[in-house]
Amino acid sequence: MKPIEIQNVTKDFGQGKGVFDISFSVNEGEVFGYLGPNGAGKSTTIRQLLGFVKPQKGSLQMLGMDCFRQAAQIHRHIGYLAGEIAFVENMKGMEYINFIAQLRGMKDNTRMKELIDMFELNPTGKIRKMSKGMKQKIGLVTAFMDSPKIVILDEPTSGLDPLMQNRFVDLILEEKKKGTTILMSSHIFEEVERTCDRTAIIRQGQIVDTVDMTNLSKIRNQVYTVTLSNEEQAVRLSNQSGLMVQSREGAVVKLLVNNNVAGSLKILAQYEPVDLQIATQSLEDIFLHYYGKGEEKDA
Amino acid sequence: MLSIPMLKHNFKACIVPFIIIFAFLTMYTTVIIYMYDPKLAEMLEGYQEVLPEMMAAVGMTGVATSLIEWIKIYLYGFIMLLFPLIFIIIAVNKLVIGFIDNGSMAGILATPNSRGKIIITQLLSLYIWLFILMSCVTAVGIATANILFPDELDIKKYLCLNAGTLMLWFAVAGITFLAACIFSDAKYYYLFGAGIPILFFFFNMIGNMGENLKFFNYFTIYSLLPADKLIAGNSEAVLPCVILFMISIVLSVTGGIWFTKRDLSL
Repeated sequence: MKPIEIQNVTKDFGQGKGVFDISFSVNEGEVFGYLGPNGAGKSTTIRQLLGFVKPQKGSLQMLGMDCFRQAAQIHRHIGYLAGEIAFVENMKGMEYINFIAQLRGMKDNTRMKELIDMFELNPTGKIRKMSKGMKQKIGLVTAFMDSPKIVILDEPTSGLDPLMQNRFVDLILEEKKKGTTILMSSHIFEEVERTCDRTAIIRQGQIVDTVDMTNLSKIRNQVYTVTLSNEEQAVRLSNQSGLMVQSREGAVVKLLVNNNVAGSLKILAQYEPVDLQIATQSLEDIFLHYYGKGEEKDA
Repeated sequence: MLSIPMLKHNFKACIVPFIIIFAFLTMYTTVIIYMYDPKLAEMLEGYQEVLPEMMAAVGMTGVATSLIEWIKIYLYGFIMLLFPLIFIIIAVNKLVIGFIDNGSMAGILATPNSRGKIIITQLLSLYIWLFILMSCVTAVGIATANILFPDELDIKKYLCLNAGTLMLWFAVAGITFLAACIFSDAKYYYLFGAGIPILFFFFNMIGNMGENLKFFNYFTIYSLLPADKLIAGNSEAVLPCVILFMISIVLSVTGGIWFTKRDLSL
């Protein structure tokens, strides 16, 4: 029995929205990424796991229990952060955290206090007047404070500044050491890459693949945007062998670099570039690269 | 089977609307009792002759020969129906649809509390609030009558009238609660959960306005309240009150079951 098991689940909302015959499972102690663009069906899957929505076909189980019928029993061991987190009206931050703690029947508040310190959260004010990042921190505290066996996070870092995103990654790695099973949806590749062991990629309601993260980072390219002193040089560079050229526009050439960093830089140096910018390939580029031309027809 | 944290929250959430509505009902109850005067009754009877439709619409028909009849005529045709309806609409918004509409139900249901337990707690809170409201109004009515007109008020009949009216409130609350359990959007909640009782309220007013409009009384839950029979101590008053109570049970249970089975887009 795996902590999370999803088998052939379909929930059709019409107009191509929903999820269609998706299956995957998460192993105990695994951090599992659920990656896909907005509207791909990530939240629909998570809502079914939480028992908010019933599947039309297939089965969802957590800890061997049915996600809809046995939701309350399952939730004793689950921490959850919603994608668009909404709070009970007119509450102060600490009031909400305590309210959820009471609903969970929590007796021990040490972990709660640790988490509040970790995220440098000051939960004294009205939630209504808080920034998105502050709200997100409150959500994270309520998700982890009861030391759950399984944590489900829907776009956990949205609204967090880079410093707090790092804290978040530390938290996930810490929980991973404890053996917590984590399912985390995201549309940001970096966040998934830094924390997840495996990742399912969902697109238009279907799981296109489940990949081991070490494999995925191997096929992922960096994009070097090289500006040369003139167009002539640029044309020469784009015809240079040993480089993967993505495009050329005027004196600017875009190169895809995978593992041959030293070699690529040596070649580039000969052309005396004026400027060089390095960016990680966007998620969409990854999709296109990973699935090749097959994806283009429905893209 | 009840969630204590939710009960506590519900108390805090509804206390302000409760105080406001209770303040209005207290004001009207004391003023109407204060105005009781058989001579004034004759004068108001005169109004009924001059403006029969107007007075009838708000239930003010008949001659008050006693304080209880006076109270029934001038409070239970309009004031004791409209203000509680406003309270019900606000309370159900705070207790049920508010959480669904803004999505905060997700945080509540992600805790180890079943949907059934949560919705039963919310439903019970609603009924408890209505019971408290009626109890407080009854206390105010009895106290005022005893101070201003000692021994004038037939307390037993007054209690019967209020018990029957409470059943009517419960039935109206059932309609509003059911709407809150079915819809996800506050807009539809207001359209049906508030719209239907308000429509009933208007039908009741129109139905009271004259013989040829009486058929409107067949299309409103408010005409089920047997106010005259209750203060006459007539046993025929029991059946309509039981029916009102049954309506509230059926609607509430349907709403509760619906809530446990539905998809929630949280």
